Amino acid sequence: MMLTPVLCSEWTKIRSVRSLLVTLSAVFVATVGVTVLVHAMVGRAEADNADFEPVYGSYFGLNFGHIAAVCFGVMATAGEYGAGGQIRLSLAAVPRRGLFFGGKMAVLAALALPVGLATGFGCFLGAQAFLGEYGVGLGTPGALRSAVGCGLYLTLLTLFSAGVAAVVRSQVGALSLLTPFIFLISPILYGVSGIGDVVAFLPDRAGQQILHPHPEGVLGAWDGMGVMALWTALAMGAGWWTLRRRDA
Amino acid sequence: MTSIDIRELTKAYGPVRALDRLTVTVRPGRVTGFLGPNGAGKSTTMRLVLGLDRPTSGTALVGGRPYTSFAEPLRHVGAVLDAAAAHPARTARDHLLTLALSNRIPARRVDEVLQETGLAGAARRRVRTFSLGMRQRLGLATALLGDPPVLMLDEPTNGLDPEGIVHLRRLTRRLADEGRTVLISSHLMSEIALTADHLVVLGRGRLLADAPVKDFIGEDASLEEAYFRLTADSAEYTTREGRS
Repeated sequence: MMLTPVLCSEWTKIRSVRSLLVTLSAVFVATVGVTVLVHAMVGRAEADNADFEPVYGSYFGLNFGHIAAVCFGVMATAGEYGAGGQIRLSLAAVPRRGLFFGGKMAVLAALALPVGLATGFGCFLGAQAFLGEYGVGLGTPGALRSAVGCGLYLTLLTLFSAGVAAVVRSQVGALSLLTPFIFLISPILYGVSGIGDVVAFLPDRAGQQILHPHPEGVLGAWDGMGVMALWTALAMGAGWWTLRRRDA
Repeated sequence: MTSIDIRELTKAYGPVRALDRLTVTVRPGRVTGFLGPNGAGKSTTMRLVLGLDRPTSGTALVGGRPYTSFAEPLRHVGAVLDAAAAHPARTARDHLLTLALSNRIPARRVDEVLQETGLAGAARRRVRTFSLGMRQRLGLATALLGDPPVLMLDEPTNGLDPEGIVHLRRLTRRLADEGRTVLISSHLMSEIALTADHLVVLGRGRLLADAPVKDFIGEDASLEEAYFRLTADSAEYTTREGRS
């Protein structure tokens, strides 16, 4: 069985469900939108502060937008397990489960990466445009890396969520696991003193190191991305294993 | 011609045997009715044939090969397992298209099966707006997509209107006459009596009968009566008065 037909099929599955397209667009719209809005309102006022980071500050919107990437990964994967029981049909059409899962993940990555990169560059350029004389260019050390890194971060986050969804096999289950983690547990733990070195290894924390031109803490920019990639590989591996082992 | 060959097929969920050493061959050129009380193992058998569930032991082969070994399985077996097996937000046509693409079935064929199942007018409607009967038709369209020599239909008459039932009866007849293998499960005895040439009856996961409809009815007044006599001890849930 060949990969191309599976890729065509998986792409059509996403293309044909409007909520999936809306969620994918929301990654860009929410992230860039919040960044631009905040910079338009308070950008120059904040720029006087001593701890102002023109590069890292560009990705403020990610705090809101990255949940859309989580939703996209979860919905695209766990949608198969909805009330319709579509997974049985999908696996009857593509019985080789590794091929099915690989095809799905490849299509998700191929969609999340360009949207993520557009989001990264959109955030950076949008933010700088509103900073006026305080703004910096893409030539600033770490700036280009941060924009590309934002794209990679969103791609890995999508795949991580998809992997978790394939294990949990339910949209509600996966979202109620991932949303509090990203919105609550990770930020709260980050504020607890003394465990910073451990918290830095959480997937979202590690992946966001690359947004800083001079990352602080135990993980450097690419170290952090590597740690997040490992988390993603782990989640996808668990998803694949679950699909392989369990009856559909 | 392609048969479904089931040998010593067993599926255990913990201590419960949903299917217990089932051995049966479903042959081409005739409609085989698949009967049995709820929980007898009919759906389990179909899922095992499709490789969706893993058997505890035994084998299920289609044309001598395991289903999962087919490169484009929809061209070999068409199945209706669950009337509603479609993403509710997808249109009927897109739903069929996602399946067709994975097996390199041309998009033209999608429109053909929509026409054939009477769904052409609803092709661009979302599946969530479909009635149970329309979902059944969509399931049938899915099964026909790859023009397969083997069809397995799990209770395809559920929710169908009288016109749909007659259409299904003619369709299964035609498919069998074309030399295909048609396995159809149902709880409607009168419908099976009209549709099937051959019967396979399960009870508590075991084979109770494998015979032509004529021989199965034998001395009894009807298929229904013969069925109740045979399955009297295997029904999972029974009401005493119902079988007096």
